[in-house]
Amino acid sequence: MEKQLDRVMDDVLSNPGVIGCVFADHQGLCLGAKGKASTDSAGIIGAITDQAAKLEPQHKSPVIVLENDTRTCIIQRSGTITGAIYKNI
Amino acid sequence: MEDKARKRGLGLNPLSAIAQMDRIPGQVGYLLLNEEGAVISSAGELENDEKSADIIMGLIMLASQIDSEAYPNYEGFKKLSINYEGHSYVVCLSNRKIHIVKKLNSVDSVAVSV
Repeated sequence: MEKQLDRVMDDVLSNPGVIGCVFADHQGLCLGAKGKASTDSAGIIGAITDQAAKLEPQHKSPVIVLENDTRTCIIQRSGTITGAIYKNI
Repeated sequence: MEDKARKRGLGLNPLSAIAQMDRIPGQVGYLLLNEEGAVISSAGELENDEKSADIIMGLIMLASQIDSEAYPNYEGFKKLSINYEGHSYVVCLSNRKIHIVKKLNSVDSVAVSV
């Protein structure tokens, strides 16, 4: 599983503009992080998806996008796994 | 009169901010909150929706703690969006107020393609 996730993370990082990614399980524990992303943020991205899911519990998990002038962070939960991708604009 | 209102500057007057949010294409509801999360104004599907206001305030608190390695010179986020299949919530902080707009995605894509 680690090897597969490693490959996925390499794929994600190979996309233009992507500077880092981090994946967390349903408890917010870090499954993996690559590029400019710290393992410490796994709990936060898990908490952000949990909080956003409360907004419309009848719908499936939303995509959460955080933006400033230079960077974007895209977060989504799929099944029990939450992924966050950091991009340069 | 209109010129006077324009000179006062966008967003400085809460009434002008509300007028701006009313004009957003595809908008189906909005919330205007103060820094503590209290509802100043609301309309449409988000009218008096304090539950959504509380959830979004929680999200803003969490978002401020995100990754220090990806954001070494931390500037904070300017825009937070929560995208569902057909609609999305867009959250912006301006003039010490939190502006939340619920809008339909399809209208947005039409506006972009024109």
